[in-house]
Amino acid sequence: MRKIVCSVCGYVYDESKGVPEAGAASGTKWEDLPADWVCPMCGATKDEFTEQVPDSKRRVAKDSPPDRSESETDMQELSPLEMSVLCSNLARGCEKQYRGGEASLFTRLADYFKSGSAPSENPRFADLMDLIGKDLEKGMPVAKAVAGDVKDRGALRALVWSEKVTRILKSLLSRYEKEGNAMFEHTGVYVCTICGFVYVGDNPPALCPVCKVPNWKFEKIEGRVS
Amino acid sequence: MADMYAVRNIRLCTKDCLCLYVCPTGATDTENSVIDVGKCTGCGVCADSCPSGAISMVPKTLPAQQKHSEQVIKAMDVLLRSKVEQERISAGLEGKLAAAIERSNRIMAEDLIREAGYMLPQSANAHDFLRGLLDRETDDDFPRDAVERLLALLEENDRP
Repeated sequence: MRKIVCSVCGYVYDESKGVPEAGAASGTKWEDLPADWVCPMCGATKDEFTEQVPDSKRRVAKDSPPDRSESETDMQELSPLEMSVLCSNLARGCEKQYRGGEASLFTRLADYFKSGSAPSENPRFADLMDLIGKDLEKGMPVAKAVAGDVKDRGALRALVWSEKVTRILKSLLSRYEKEGNAMFEHTGVYVCTICGFVYVGDNPPALCPVCKVPNWKFEKIEGRVS
Repeated sequence: MADMYAVRNIRLCTKDCLCLYVCPTGATDTENSVIDVGKCTGCGVCADSCPSGAISMVPKTLPAQQKHSEQVIKAMDVLLRSKVEQERISAGLEGKLAAAIERSNRIMAEDLIREAGYMLPQSANAHDFLRGLLDRETDDDFPRDAVERLLALLEENDRP
């Protein structure tokens, strides 16, 4: 009997136990769970689960190290939207220090840059999936390897959280492809304001499955005027 | 002046008022619940006395933050740009999912840029960024006054 683990929140699907309250009797094989089954804790799809391999049997992976060569990127040449991000991040930094006046000033700048950012010409959900794929296949492994080499635990923390959140976004987009807007018809959508985790449902978990912050830090997404 | 100052977390405050009884200057007793930094001597007795742990002592000067290597910054920057592009795309799409994805990417991007060296508004690089804006931004509606005010209000804590 295998154990299959959710890479977003750590929930373990134990084949020997099943999930009886959801109709999966004990002994139900992973493959026999319906394709649209999602993690009961965080909503991740089956794609985001990996089999838990016992330590004694774990082979030492001889993968080639990720290709770290990247073209030079100059942190100074930020696009308007990137400058907006920098300003909204510094606004948060001010808020945390109870410097409300400075926070508002940075927020004004963030809003200015956001409104000055050219909208995407032909936005498509498929483009989001592509970029997510690139992040998970290349961007994140490279960054984690580089940060791991120098033991930059702060950067690793941000990378661990953003990888999990990226996986949840991937799960939600793949469900949306199949279920469409019916997915949200009479259901809440919440975003964790600390790590970006997205929860679809009416009863958000008490703690964020990714960053463990209490759920009063979640923000409910209402309809928006675009 | 004191090295530390007291900050009350109003969400944790249960109005036990020990802080009012023990404060030598009356800094903790205000009409808006915000401890008066001008009167606070940083003695810390209010924080120690509060049964709800609602008061923290915060240093006035913050240490230089940890540096990140060039390689880490470059790798984080690649991801930052990807998340920003995803924010841009989802901003142009309809519906609750798109709105949630837009917000989620903004939050991830903020975290990535924070760990790529922009954690503190007091840091030298944040100041350099602000000064750069004054040089570069020439639009009439650019909020120059906001930048000037920030440079005046925020001390630098790590200029070598």
